[in-house]
Order: sequence, then C-alpha cells, then structure tokens
Amino acid sequence: MPHETSRPEAAFVLLVLQATFWAMAGLSALPFVLGGEVFMLALGAVSIALAGGTAWLGIGVVRRRRWARRLTVILEWVTLVASVLLLASPVGANKGPVALLVNLALPLAVILLLRGRRMRAVFGITPKAAR
Amino acid sequence: MYDIAASHAIGLIAGLLMLPMALALVRFSAAHRGLPVTTQVAVVLMAISGAIHLGLVSHHLVTDPITSVLFFFNGLAFIGLAVLVRRRWWRFESSALIVLTVLAYLVYVVAGLEGPDQVGLTTKLIELTALGMILVPARQERRKRDRACYWALLAAGLPMLSVLSGTSLWITDLAHPSARHVHAGAVLQSTNAVPTHAQQDAATLLYEDTVAALEPYQDWHNAWAAGYRPGGPDNLPSTHWMNQAYVKAGYVMDPKHPQGLVYANSHHGPVLLGAMFQMPRLDEFGPDPGGPLTAWHQHENICFTPFGLEFSLMTPFAICPIGAIDISAPPMLHVWVVDNPTGPFAVDIDAKLVAAIDRS
Repeated sequence: MPHETSRPEAAFVLLVLQATFWAMAGLSALPFVLGGEVFMLALGAVSIALAGGTAWLGIGVVRRRRWARRLTVILEWVTLVASVLLLASPVGANKGPVALLVNLALPLAVILLLRGRRMRAVFGITPKAAR
Repeated sequence: MYDIAASHAIGLIAGLLMLPMALALVRFSAAHRGLPVTTQVAVVLMAISGAIHLGLVSHHLVTDPITSVLFFFNGLAFIGLAVLVRRRWWRFESSALIVLTVLAYLVYVVAGLEGPDQVGLTTKLIELTALGMILVPARQERRKRDRACYWALLAAGLPMLSVLSGTSLWITDLAHPSARHVHAGAVLQSTNAVPTHAQQDAATLLYEDTVAALEPYQDWHNAWAAGYRPGGPDNLPSTHWMNQAYVKAGYVMDPKHPQGLVYANSHHGPVLLGAMFQMPRLDEFGPDPGGPLTAWHQHENICFTPFGLEFSLMTPFAICPIGAIDISAPPMLHVWVVDNPTGPFAVDIDAKLVAAIDRS
C-alpha cells in the first residue's frame, strides 16, 4: 500500500517548526522598526508571510497534494543552498549546532522525506514510463 | 546563548555517540521496525536527548548535585521511553516528559540557575521536534478516534511551546548578559579586572592622540574628503562613517587612520562623537594598552540587510528575517571625543547625550 507511510506527516512537523522559526524572526524585526529601521518592517512582513506559506505547504503535504510536495521541495532546496552559501562565506555567520540543525539539517530532512519513487507514488505522481 | 559552555560540550558528544545506536535500534529491533516513520524519528531524537542529559550528569555532580540527579533520571526516562515504545500510554508519557523537561529548563534559565547555551538550545530543539513527531497522527495507526485532538495539539501546542522557549531564552539572555557580553551581540575582549597605573597612562595617551588626530573631522566635509562615507539610515540618532581604504589597509589602532567615525545626526548637520578602530579579521582582538579601559569588542550574530543597510538580531533558533543575513563584525574599539558618561572608550555612547546633541 503506497499510501501507508507517515513520511509526509514527519515532513509536516518539520515544516511547522520551520514556519514557527520564520514567524519568530519576522516578529523580532518589528522592534527595530520603532528604532527607525523602516526596511525591517518589509523584512518582518515577508518573513511572517513565508511562515504562513510554509504552514500552508505543510497542510498540503499532509493531504498528499502534488503541488505542495513540489513547492516544498523547491523551497527547501532554496533554503539549503542559501544556508550553505552563507556558511561558506567569510561574513562570520553562526556555525553552532542550532544553526546547523535549523538551517541545514531541517531542510535536508524535509527533502529526504519527500523524495524518491515511493513518495512520488504517494503523491499520485506516475512515472514517465507508465504514462 | 550562541556559545557552547565548555562543561556542556560532553553532552553534545554523548548525543552524537547515541545517534548510531538509536538508528540501529529502530532499524533492527522487532518492536521498533514496524513503527511509523514519525515514531521512529521520535525514538531516535528522544534517545539522543536522553544521552545528552546523561552526559551532563558528571559535571553538575560537583557544583549542583540536585540538577545532576534530575539530569540522570531525565536521561533514563528518555532512553527508557525510546526503548519501551510499545507501551500503551507511550504517546502520553513521552509528550508529558518532553513538555515537562522543556518547561523545567525554561524555569532553570529564567531563575538564573542555568545559562542558556548552544547545548541547551540544541537539546530543546531536538525535544520539540520529537514532541511533534509523537503528536502527529500517522496514517497506519490503528486508533483513529483521537486524531482531531492530536492535530489540534500539534498545530497549536508545538508552535506555542517553541515560541515560549525561544522568547524566554532570548529575553533572559538579553536581560542578563554574561560578563563578556556588554549588550546584545557585543562580546568584550578578555582583560585584567582593574587597570594598572601603566595601563591608565597608556589609555590617556591613546585618548589624547586620537582627540588630536580627529580635530579636522569636527567638520564632516573633511571626513568626506578623506574618504569616510555614512552607512545605514540617516534618521537614526547617530551614524557610523566608514573609510573603506583604511579598512583595507589594515591600520591597527592608528589614531591618524581610524577605520570609522561616529557622527550625531543633529539638526544642523553631523556632529563628531568619536572614532572607531577596527581590526581586519574576526576573532582577532587588537592591542589593549589600557587593559580593561580599552577592551575591544566584537559584534556577533547580527542580522544585516542590504536594504537600507539596517540591522536586527538573530533569534535563538539561528534565523534572521528573510532578506537579512547573519554576520559578525571584526573587533572594534570606540574613542568618544565628547564627554560620554560611560567613559571615553565605552562600547556604547550614552543615548541621552546623543539625543541632546541631535536636538542642538
């Protein structure tokens, strides 16, 4: 039974955590707006919007929606590549265990949970040869 | 909060050592093999958290035996539940253990019994993830009647506990920075506690030399001509003007070539507040002739955005707002040429003084 797997549910949990962390980052920008940093308002709003979008993707993943899986994998690849570039650049980005878990391990885990032939079948994606 | 306490590193090592054992458990144990992936992930994470707690027992045994005993039983409980996953009330017991462990940690940190560090944060992150994996209803579960309840707990409870953990730790860290953290994101150079006479004389000499060298820059036009340019928004009380040629040249605490100048944004134009010496590389503090009087500081874990050259602070979960990146600035030393109440070499200039100059 291809549908009897809880990997999408596991991905959902990680997406909920990721959305929470982005929402926190968005909210943390707002006090700086009061200090005169007006662009932080836009950054905070974008972060909160992304948090909402991530939660929405999580719901789609649990419901086995094809678009949700595709968008989630794209989002996590973008997050992963951006994090790797940031960590590799000499700007002094934090390389502590929390940063590595949240910015590298979490998106990588979501990608691994949603990839593979079996998961494509779970999301109703038929192999090219079978079409 | 962004450092690993030396005495806690053993906890991380114990957690890493537990990882292959926990993976072997879910792979080869008959009781674990047929479980949903979510439960298997929870088992692995709980085993790691248990190992971290057990790893911390020995250090706390001397300084804080009660905490040590709590760590021991906490660690055993985590590993025990990771093994006994077929128990009837496993989901309830595991969730309760994780929630109580997270809340107990927050009480310890807020009460000042424990300082938040990367090991504590990592452990809470692992436990929060495990909690989500325990609560989320898997498709192949036989019992279906509690699914709505678990979805509600997951959707509301997990984000709430995560936000509570993050904000509690952050507020505590900001309100009670360690001795080397002057303010959020600024780490001071280690020095002797009380300046010697020689250090006082050296600090005075540095101050006099810098004040004399900065005299031309009282007129901001001279600073502009010398290559200094303002950075960041001009609607803030003060602005750092940086000279990229001096930054690249790598002058070290040269009063004639300070890498930055700080101007108050007054009604009648920029008013010189002081100079800023900056080292070329991260973690390389500059010469410290005045001991504690002239200690350098390094800004760490700052969220910087090129949009408007603005800053905010990285969250405890190591995330910046989208559009900002986490950076650290090489060590710097300010020399204030105005009468700063907190001292001529203080990390920050008094906000009331700047506001008064701005109004002038």
